[in-house]
Amino acid sequence: MKYLTILLIGSMSLMGASTEVVQYMNELSSVAKTENKSFAGFDAARGKEIFTSTHTGKQGKPISCTSCHTTNLSNYGKNSLTGKVIEPLSPKANPQRLTSVKEVTKWLKRNFVDVYAREGTAQEKGDVLTYIIKN
Amino acid sequence: MKIFLNISLAAALFVGGVYLYADDDEMEHARPAYSKPLSKQDQASAALYKKECGACHMAYQAGFLPKRSWDKTMKGLDNHFGTDATMDAADTKTIQNYLMTYASKNDRITDMKGAVALRISQTPHFVKEHREITQKMITQPEVKSIANCTACHTKAETGSYREREIHIPNYGRWE
Ligand code: HEC
Ligand code: HEC
Ligand code: HEC
Repeated sequence: MKYLTILLIGSMSLMGASTEVVQYMNELSSVAKTENKSFAGFDAARGKEIFTSTHTGKQGKPISCTSCHTTNLSNYGKNSLTGKVIEPLSPKANPQRLTSVKEVTKWLKRNFVDVYAREGTAQEKGDVLTYIIKN
Repeated sequence: MKIFLNISLAAALFVGGVYLYADDDEMEHARPAYSKPLSKQDQASAALYKKECGACHMAYQAGFLPKRSWDKTMKGLDNHFGTDATMDAADTKTIQNYLMTYASKNDRITDMKGAVALRISQTPHFVKEHREITQKMITQPEVKSIANCTACHTKAETGSYREREIHIPNYGRWE
C-alpha cells in the first residue's frame, strides 16, 4: 500500500497532473473512443491548435485561449475581459494546476463556451489538457 | 495608534463588510455602512464566495447590492456580462445564501427606481461618488473598467474604500 502511494505520487509529478485528473483524462479517452471510431489517443499537437487558434466566441468577437493565458503557459496571464492577473496555467510552473477535477471541468466548460461558443468534446478536452501538461 | 489598530482588527473580522470614510479626517468617521459581522458558520461560505466570485475580478462586497440584484445575478451565471461563470449546483446555492444574508438593506444607495441593478457601478450612489472621474482615467489599460475597483482603491479587497487609500494609475492620489 505504501509502495502504491509512492508510485502514485511519483507518476503524478511526472505527468504534471494529479491522479484524479489523470483518471478523468482516462474517462475522457473512453468517451472519445465511442464518439470517434478512428480516435487513437490524445495529441498535444491538436491540443496546441485548439489552444492557440482564434474563434468567434460567446460575445460574437474574436477570442482564443491565449487571449487570457498567453502563448507561454509558464507566464502569468491576464483576463482579457476584466484585466485581472491569472496565475500560470502550466503545472510545471504552477503545481496547483490540474490537481482538481472539479476545477478543471468547471473551467473547461466556461472557457470553451467563451472561446468556441459551445462546450468542448471529450477529445478536444483531452487534447488540450495533454498540451497544457506538456508545456 | 492603539485605537487605530483595534479598528483595523475589527475591520478584519467583518470580512463581508464595507467601510466608508465620508471625509478622511481620522477614524471617528468610520461607519460600517453596508455590513454586519460574519457569523462563524458563514466563514466557509465567505471563503467560497471569495474564491468563486473573485476568480475573474475582485470579489465585490455583498453589501454593495440588495438581495434582488444578487438573486438575478446568481440565476444568470451562464451569461454573466457576456461570459460563462457557471459552477456546480451545491456551490451556487451556498453562494446564493451567503449573498442573501449579507446583501444591502439600504435602499438609498442602491435604488434604481424599480429596475434591478446588476452592476454596482450603475447604482445612483456609486455614480454620484465617482462623478469627478474622467473617461481617460477609466479607459487606460491599467484600469480598463470602472468595475476594476482594486486598480484605484488599493485596499478594496478588504472592504476599505477610504479616500487616502485611493491611487489612480498615472494620476496619483486623490486629495
Ligand atoms: C476570458 C479569459 C479566459 C479565456 C479566454 C480562457 N481562460 Fe482558461 N481560465 C481563465 C481563468 C480566470 C481561470 C482560473 C484562474 C485561476 O484559477 O486563477 C482559468 C482556468 C483554466 C483552467 C484550469 C486549470 C486548473 O487546474 O486550475 C484550464 C484547464 C483552462 N483555463 C483552460 C483554458 C482553455 C483550454 C481555454 C480555451 C478554450 C481557456 N482556458 C481560455 C480565463 C480564461
Ligand atoms: C468567469 C469569469 C467570472 C466569474 C467566475 C464571475 N464574474 Fe462577475 N464579472 C465578470 C465579467 C467579465 C464582468 C464585467 C466586467 C467589466 O465590465 O469590466 C463581471 C462583472 C460583475 C459585476 C458588475 C461589476 C460592476 O459594478 O460593474 C458583478 C456585481 C459581478 N460580476 C458579480 C459576480 C459574482 C457574484 C460572481 C460569483 C457568483 C461572479 N461575478 C463571478 C466575470 C466573472
Ligand atoms: C478610476 C478609479 C476608480 C475605480 C476603478 C473605482 N473607484 Fe471608487 N472612487 C474613486 C475615487 C477617486 C473616489 C473618491 C471620489 C471623491 O471623493 O470625490 C471613489 C469613491 C468611492 C467610494 C466612496 C468612499 C467614501 O469616502 O465614501 C466607494 C464606496 C467606492 N469608490 C467604491 C468603488 C467600487 C466598489 C468600485 C468597483 C466596482 C470602485 N469604487 C471603482 C476612484 C475609483
